[in-house]
Amino acid sequence: MSLSLERKTLAGGSPRNGNSRPRSHKLSLEKTALLWALFFGAVSLGGALLMASPIQKISSWPFFTAGSFSRIAVSSQLLAQGAGFYSQSCGDCHGDDGHGDEGPDLHNLAISDARIASQIKNGTKGEMPSFTKKYDNQQVTALVAYVRSLH
Amino acid sequence: MSIDPALWPKLHGASTHFPVALAMAAALFDGLSALVPASSPRKAQLRAAGYFTIILGALGTFPAVLSGLFMTKGQVLGHDAELFHHLFVWPAFALLVGLGAWRALVGDTASPRGFAIYLAILFLTAGLMAGAGYWGGELILNS
Repeated sequence: MSLSLERKTLAGGSPRNGNSRPRSHKLSLEKTALLWALFFGAVSLGGALLMASPIQKISSWPFFTAGSFSRIAVSSQLLAQGAGFYSQSCGDCHGDDGHGDEGPDLHNLAISDARIASQIKNGTKGEMPSFTKKYDNQQVTALVAYVRSLH
Repeated sequence: MSIDPALWPKLHGASTHFPVALAMAAALFDGLSALVPASSPRKAQLRAAGYFTIILGALGTFPAVLSGLFMTKGQVLGHDAELFHHLFVWPAFALLVGLGAWRALVGDTASPRGFAIYLAILFLTAGLMAGAGYWGGELILNS
């Protein structure tokens, strides 16, 4: 692109106002550019959507998952307790398998245990009820452990 | 060795504001240029600003989309606020890349009709980017 923008009228350029490119040349360039624009837009979008599946797979690699989030020491008893609470209070919205229904998918959450616990206790106004009265801290810990076990 | 899972939300937050702001700035510059008389030097200056901002905005979408995909572990649509965020993001992404490519190739030789169509799609894209930003904010506030 010419950077002599000060001297040229960018849109509506014509021999009369200083842009001496023939009109047919401009239209041909615009059409070619349109084809390239459609190509780049489609390839970018398609590429991003196609990358989603490989990213989903590599996100479960230890390099990505063994990060700095605190992990609850999980016993099978704690998990079983959490699973029970989950089916009582969470499955209706998040799906029996945790893959989401009205509420979001709970698999591979990229937030800390404390954040999950806070969400369970406080809920979200208009979207998710608070469970702070229903479950004590130990029970919330069991729920967090269960949610963390969803991969 | 592993990476901090909080890296992706941080990278997404750091990278996503550039294309949003640049798309809106491009719409502002090019929109204003359409109001300025052809004889004014301001017109070419505004068009030049619009040219560079749309190209930088289009380039800026790639790190934003990539970090978003890693952040959501490859989630393309999702639920609730995330679903709405993605319904705005994907068309905005394709349009912004397309607009950046078109403007880069056509440069300062656009016909009035071609530029008017470009401007209309640019405004639509800026609106979609605003919607994506709004629902992205809702995601943060509600998580």
